Amino acid sequence: MVRSVPPSLIHHGMLRAASGPRRRCFRCCAVRAAVRSVHPDDMLSRSRCLTRSLGRSISALRQGNRALARRATSGISASQCVSVKSGPSCETRSSVYQIRYFNTTTAHRNEVITVKTPAFAESVTEGDVRWEKAVGDTVSEDEVVCEIETDKTSVQVPSPAAGVIEELLVPDGGKVEGGTPLFKLKKGAGAAKTTAAAPPPAAETPPPPAPPAAAAAPVGGPIPTSMPPVPPVPAQPIQSKPVSAIKPTAAPAAAAADPDAGAKAARSEHRVKMNRMRLRIAQRLKEAQNTCAMLTTFNEVDMSNITQMRTQYKDAFLKKHGIKLGFMSAFVKAAAYALTDQPAVNAVIDDTTKEIVYRDYVDISVAVATPKGLVVPVIRGVEGMNFADIEKTINELGEKARKNELAVEDMDGGTFTISNGGVFGSMFGTPIINPPQSAILGMHGIFDRPVAIAGKVEIRPMMYVALTYDHRLIDGREAVTFLRKIKSVVEDPRVLLLDM
Amino acid sequence: MILRLLNRACVLSGSVRLKSTLSTFFDEMGKSGIILKSATTGIFENLALEDWIHDHVDLQNRSMLLLWRNSPAVVIGRHQNPWQECNLPLMRRLGIPLARRRSGGGTVFHDFGNINMTFFTSKKKYDRHRNLKVITSALKALRPDLEVAATDRFDILLNSHYKISGTAAKLGRTSAYHHCTLLCSVDRSVLSSVLKSNTSEVIKSNATPSVPSPVRNLLDVDPTLDSDTIMNAIASQYSNEFGFDGPVITVDPTHEALMPGIHKMAQDLQMWEWIYGRTPKFSVCSSLVVDDVTVKLDMDIKNGAVEQCAMEIPEDWLPSEMVNEFTSALNGSKYCPNEAAVLVAAFTRTVSVTADVAEKIHRLCAGVVSVM
Repeated sequence: MVRSVPPSLIHHGMLRAASGPRRRCFRCCAVRAAVRSVHPDDMLSRSRCLTRSLGRSISALRQGNRALARRATSGISASQCVSVKSGPSCETRSSVYQIRYFNTTTAHRNEVITVKTPAFAESVTEGDVRWEKAVGDTVSEDEVVCEIETDKTSVQVPSPAAGVIEELLVPDGGKVEGGTPLFKLKKGAGAAKTTAAAPPPAAETPPPPAPPAAAAAPVGGPIPTSMPPVPPVPAQPIQSKPVSAIKPTAAPAAAAADPDAGAKAARSEHRVKMNRMRLRIAQRLKEAQNTCAMLTTFNEVDMSNITQMRTQYKDAFLKKHGIKLGFMSAFVKAAAYALTDQPAVNAVIDDTTKEIVYRDYVDISVAVATPKGLVVPVIRGVEGMNFADIEKTINELGEKARKNELAVEDMDGGTFTISNGGVFGSMFGTPIINPPQSAILGMHGIFDRPVAIAGKVEIRPMMYVALTYDHRLIDGREAVTFLRKIKSVVEDPRVLLLDM
Repeated sequence: MILRLLNRACVLSGSVRLKSTLSTFFDEMGKSGIILKSATTGIFENLALEDWIHDHVDLQNRSMLLLWRNSPAVVIGRHQNPWQECNLPLMRRLGIPLARRRSGGGTVFHDFGNINMTFFTSKKKYDRHRNLKVITSALKALRPDLEVAATDRFDILLNSHYKISGTAAKLGRTSAYHHCTLLCSVDRSVLSSVLKSNTSEVIKSNATPSVPSPVRNLLDVDPTLDSDTIMNAIASQYSNEFGFDGPVITVDPTHEALMPGIHKMAQDLQMWEWIYGRTPKFSVCSSLVVDDVTVKLDMDIKNGAVEQCAMEIPEDWLPSEMVNEFTSALNGSKYCPNEAAVLVAAFTRTVSVTADVAEKIHRLCAGVVSVM
């Protein structure tokens, strides 16, 4: 992989910074002359022309690949420091600066500095330390490591250089005075973190374009640190083809500071332990699936009437009740009506006593998907409620959730569940029964479809509904009748009044 | 365009100024002292405004005073424990939000009868006593027989006994701000009930504590003093004290174009992870009485999430495996009533229990939630 590199560029196995100022090589402690006064063979010497030096630096990097692999960790961070300090005017030359500092940082690679508490203002003597970062965290220069609270004032303590926090010398909340040692920082970026192979979201610079890079991903096999990422984005502004081309072949940099890791490390995986709750729910669902004879029946609902009713009454409803009229109330009431009509769907099998438990009340759980998992608030006693009552209850539950006052009683129990996949755009699907219940109604999205009505084709807003039920308890005929009842109520709410 | 200059009829038109932000506007003004008033009363927007000015405005040769008021809210200091400082269930019932500011110090209650003042300076010119002198001189200029004085703890006392102002500050790298409150006509009954925690005895923490003090409104001493009068007096005293002649400018903290990034700052301040999650590690050790049974509860909370939870319950009331499952369900969850309720509800769905055991679990959960 490494072709012949001019000996001038390799020094003790490292690609020497070809265009750097005087630097001390930490291996031989010899002072190396700056570029300008040096080696006739030095490829990058005396080159003021940007493109030429670029071209040479590229080939140097390509050739010096393996050597760079071991050192680039520190090199990259230093060059990032450089790009920060140099400022935008120097960006165009930063690729040259990249190489310049490789050598330097290797010299300081293992330096650990102790950061002391800054002096306090206004004759304050001591303060409490509050840590923002922990041991092992990588910090960039000027990033806040901790805050010291003195007498109602919060003072930030930034990191003097980029590096990794090695040790915290004061516990959280401990008292310090001006000059007390606070923490130890190991300079150089993420040396400890290079083993973290998973692509960490590098916040420092945006990822450079991937296409040429991705192709040549893991070049240079036996690299002791992580997978080979790219030289950092100080190269970004130059954006010329050659620059992006060096990425694949260039040496690995600090994994923590690596923006292009995303493209390369797309093949790694990371494992997250399943938490107990998820395990239990999974177990319970599988148990239910094994004991229940679960199957699903479908139907479709013409939503035109209910939509029209809603448009006609929504303002008056809002005015009288102070809440909005939605579709859920129609389906909840329809389900309650159908459940009182078909008590088997409202019942449950008690496996321990081998009994069927019929219930006179209807408590409907409405499934809500939250980032934390499924939440099923329960509307109790729906059989005695009208649309307005149902909307009010749904609203109250929402308010409680917003005010952080939901209680377990609000979410436990329920004889029947309604799940609305339509909010996510689902057209058709089979919901899974929420144990220990016997059935679940799945609502899906409302889409305009051509349907045949009285011998003509008309476009109507249609919704597919699905009922998954336990066949041990509910026969096919009961399930279909149940679903048809829901359909008839939603398509014409007058059915409720006429008790049809 | 929301930016208005009160004593100049100049209105910045959007098309001309779109490219500049508030900080370039200040640079162009060239004044060394500027007084700002916030146009809104949302606590999070105003805190975001403070942070934005601190981060983006060049304060090396310039000082600023920001006057702001909020609708009812409780504001805790950067390193405080909200469960220890205020009555969270009461605040939830009353709809009073909780905010955590970025400066240190103790907990305060804001409402429309409270004036907030933030003095922005460079680090070199940071002088809290001088700032407080502006306030006391302004008040004395309005009512010469008012007995107000600043203490060395940077409080302002009325009649040497009642606290009417508290202070907090933040020192950045190059600039600093010092903000304080001033009680003009705050609802004192709400203040005292909200700032009295219901769970402080059961919490062990090394978070910064607040020092409670007896308080009084300026309105109680002199019914003619209202917030607007006081704000104007402070603004003119500020100009006198520091020798500035800048105008008073009204700023709308929701104006994203003028202050890019401020909306995100306000959002960040509202996140649970900031308000509750930034609490230093603490532990809760409480004895609950549920159904005549004493339950001993021990929880360690780190970053607002339950790190460890242990319960001691008599075996005959609830079997111990159930108790273990219950506590392990709470492990790793946020220390938050909703979240606990959701987890316990999910937990009860996964175990087949008789009705009375289910009820016991509900009551146990209600007991646990009472300390959240």
